[in-house]
Amino acid sequence: MTTSLFPEGIALDPDAPALRLTGITKSFGKVTAVEDVSLEIRRNEVVGLIGENGAGKSTLLKILTGIYQPDSGTIEAHGQVVRFRRPQDSVAAGIGVVHQEQSLLTNLSVAENIAMSAVARKDAATRYGIYRWKRLNQEAEAVLARVGSSVDPRSIVGDLPFVDRQMVEIARALRVDEVAHVPPVVILDEPTSVLERDETATLEREIRALKELGSAIFVSHRLDEVMRICDRVLVMRHGKLVADRPVSEVTQEELFHLMVGHESRAPERPEGRGLATGVPALEIKGLSHKGAYRDVSLSVYPGQCVAIVGTIGSGREEVCRAIFGADSYDSGQIFVDGKDIDHWSMRKAVRNGVAYVPAERKVEGMVGGLSAAENLTLANPGPAAIGPFLRPRARRKLAAEWFEKLDVRPLNPQMRLERFSGGNQQKVVMGKWLMEEDLKLLVLDHPLRGLDVGAAETVNAQIQEACSRGVGVLLIADTLEEALDMAHVIVVMRDGEVTAHHDLSVESTTSLDLLERMV
Amino acid sequence: MNSSAPTAGTSVSESPRQRRVSGLGIWQSIGPVVVCLALLAVVVISNPAFLTGGGPGILALQGTFILLVALGQATVLNVGSIDLSNAAMAVLSAMVLAMTLGDLGPIALVISVGLATLIGAVNGLLIAYTQVPSFALTLGTLGILQAASLVISDATTVYVKGSSDILMPLFGNFFLKMPWAFWLAVLLAIVMWLLFKFTRTGEAMTAVGLNETGAIFAGIGNRQVKVMAFAISGFFAGMAGVMIIAQGGAASSFGLGSDLLLPGIAAAIVGGTAITGGVTNPLLVIFGSLTVALIPIASAVVGVPATAQSLVYGLVIIVAVALTMQRQSNAIVK
Repeated sequence: MTTSLFPEGIALDPDAPALRLTGITKSFGKVTAVEDVSLEIRRNEVVGLIGENGAGKSTLLKILTGIYQPDSGTIEAHGQVVRFRRPQDSVAAGIGVVHQEQSLLTNLSVAENIAMSAVARKDAATRYGIYRWKRLNQEAEAVLARVGSSVDPRSIVGDLPFVDRQMVEIARALRVDEVAHVPPVVILDEPTSVLERDETATLEREIRALKELGSAIFVSHRLDEVMRICDRVLVMRHGKLVADRPVSEVTQEELFHLMVGHESRAPERPEGRGLATGVPALEIKGLSHKGAYRDVSLSVYPGQCVAIVGTIGSGREEVCRAIFGADSYDSGQIFVDGKDIDHWSMRKAVRNGVAYVPAERKVEGMVGGLSAAENLTLANPGPAAIGPFLRPRARRKLAAEWFEKLDVRPLNPQMRLERFSGGNQQKVVMGKWLMEEDLKLLVLDHPLRGLDVGAAETVNAQIQEACSRGVGVLLIADTLEEALDMAHVIVVMRDGEVTAHHDLSVESTTSLDLLERMV
Repeated sequence: MNSSAPTAGTSVSESPRQRRVSGLGIWQSIGPVVVCLALLAVVVISNPAFLTGGGPGILALQGTFILLVALGQATVLNVGSIDLSNAAMAVLSAMVLAMTLGDLGPIALVISVGLATLIGAVNGLLIAYTQVPSFALTLGTLGILQAASLVISDATTVYVKGSSDILMPLFGNFFLKMPWAFWLAVLLAIVMWLLFKFTRTGEAMTAVGLNETGAIFAGIGNRQVKVMAFAISGFFAGMAGVMIIAQGGAASSFGLGSDLLLPGIAAAIVGGTAITGGVTNPLLVIFGSLTVALIPIASAVVGVPATAQSLVYGLVIIVAVALTMQRQSNAIVK
């Protein structure tokens, strides 16, 4: 069981902030994720934390929750220097978290979920390891009442709307003060990203109400929300804290600039590339899926790279999965190479020259137990098979060629793919599709995720080569810079809808333009 | 909660333990052979007359039935499913063969094996399209097929009407004092090995067994692959049915072949087939089947009392699997 850093009834220094960070730095290899960050979270204050993907927010949160240990710097909680060696230590200092991904068990009741929280005491609600349901439900009700939620503790989490689940998570996170005996600091990591816009009003009200109980750190991509909910905003960029402003003294416009820093602009493009000519490799019309995206229309022409940008919850991943047939859609049409195909499925997609490089590489992108050579020829064996029969020698030759082309290391195509490093796996996954001569459309879902610089360069070069041989590319990039670098056309999505459409051959779009329509 | 998060960055490094697999790899490819030969050595040393007498013939006879159902089971295990109905299918198709052989001659063979293949395909279709787990679905078909056998046989023994002469040669000795039937089963094992090694279908089966999601995302028709695997299992059950009639001239719900389910699974696994899917080698399943067939013989010659035979059986299976299975560090345990 976790014991508090603060004995019950200790007199805390009333002027000390709930949390003070001084000179926190954290590096991974050569990459500095968080650099010399100093900040304070005062008592009874809601502080916003914003920044682009990769700005270091997540790393900072992981330091605050004891998952990572900083390389240097100190953390003080209520005036006392603390070290978080493991998550329990941060709980003991009164820090609770609501994670980005929902962490409730959907098949259990609200009360059970609350009882299972990491900080729950071995309390009166269980006797000999058996739940005393009445007590359990009463306790849960009390916990929920603190955040003003009237959710029935007996209801099954899976039956609740997302906004109620989020309230349960917040209530559960607040329980840290039962162990810590200090006003809690609750970290809310993009709690609104899974919610519909109209649901967020409730949540906003409750987050503001948290001020009565303790402090909150609110991480969000939606700047308007940050402005409404928070007292103060911290902006991170490239691992550094670049601004610390009361919301009353800053505008959304300024926050954009602070987040993005310099405005990145699309580089000049060679003439005549990526033009909207011929039959589109992909055309989608009015594609909708309830709860994910609405009325999405876009086209990708042969040789064109179209990037979709948007935050988490924008629906861009779901659209791409629907295009490959990996997820279903409710209404709308998908035309590939001008053809409208009934009962769209992944099998038909592959046969019609559509390829998909998924973000979940290990699960969806490859069969790790097969060799790299087998993975390369799994979808389109080409010369490695005649009819139903495989030609192992031809396959070895083909695999050797592609290993050289994609610079895959180690140079052993017969090794099981799961034993290669992530970057080399991704090269093989790309190669699997690029081998297809009739490839029409390449859908890339975060193709550079987790890759080092060298592997990323190889993959990018392959994307460009695919474009130049007339393949249409639909790209979900990790960063706006990546999208601006690679794409001929950028489609912006927010909350499941297309909000802007930039043709980079005629406009000079900046990351700021894109961001404005994303959040 | 969400397991994808921590794996994102950890893929680059590789533990040295995984690299040291080459010795283990060789063992995995010959382990089942070694286990089989070791057991054979025990038998021959305790009773040297085994080889010169009728020993190999008896072993091959038992081994044939087990090998046939084990090949089907290995195919189904390879796509990540299991077929609990194959022994019941063998008995049913044997009955159908007994009833029709006298009148129809060779056509009866086609009918009985075809029926079993069809039942297998139906199993596969139901699994693929209703998504009922194969364990549950084939447990259901097992019951249905057993009932069907009882009904059509009137709960008695069905004897071949007329002559079963065309099947006689199957149990004439051919090579190494082992009958034709056994060598036919070995030939089928080689065909299956070729299927897995040199055809797109075989590779698709292995891919589905290793990572079904990954295979689907590569455009492989996982449903077709599963239907195919279960149809193959049905075909092998039908072949086992043919052997039942060839050897005994009769079939009944409680007679020859009715207890083949567990030896079949055991033979596939002792032959190095992974119960989790994606790993099998039909050539090794031959040795797995001989091992399983040898266990009762070995325990008899060593002098284990008949009442304790299943104890020896259980121990040998556990030891054989422990010796031959593929292991990974931090693997999922099923």
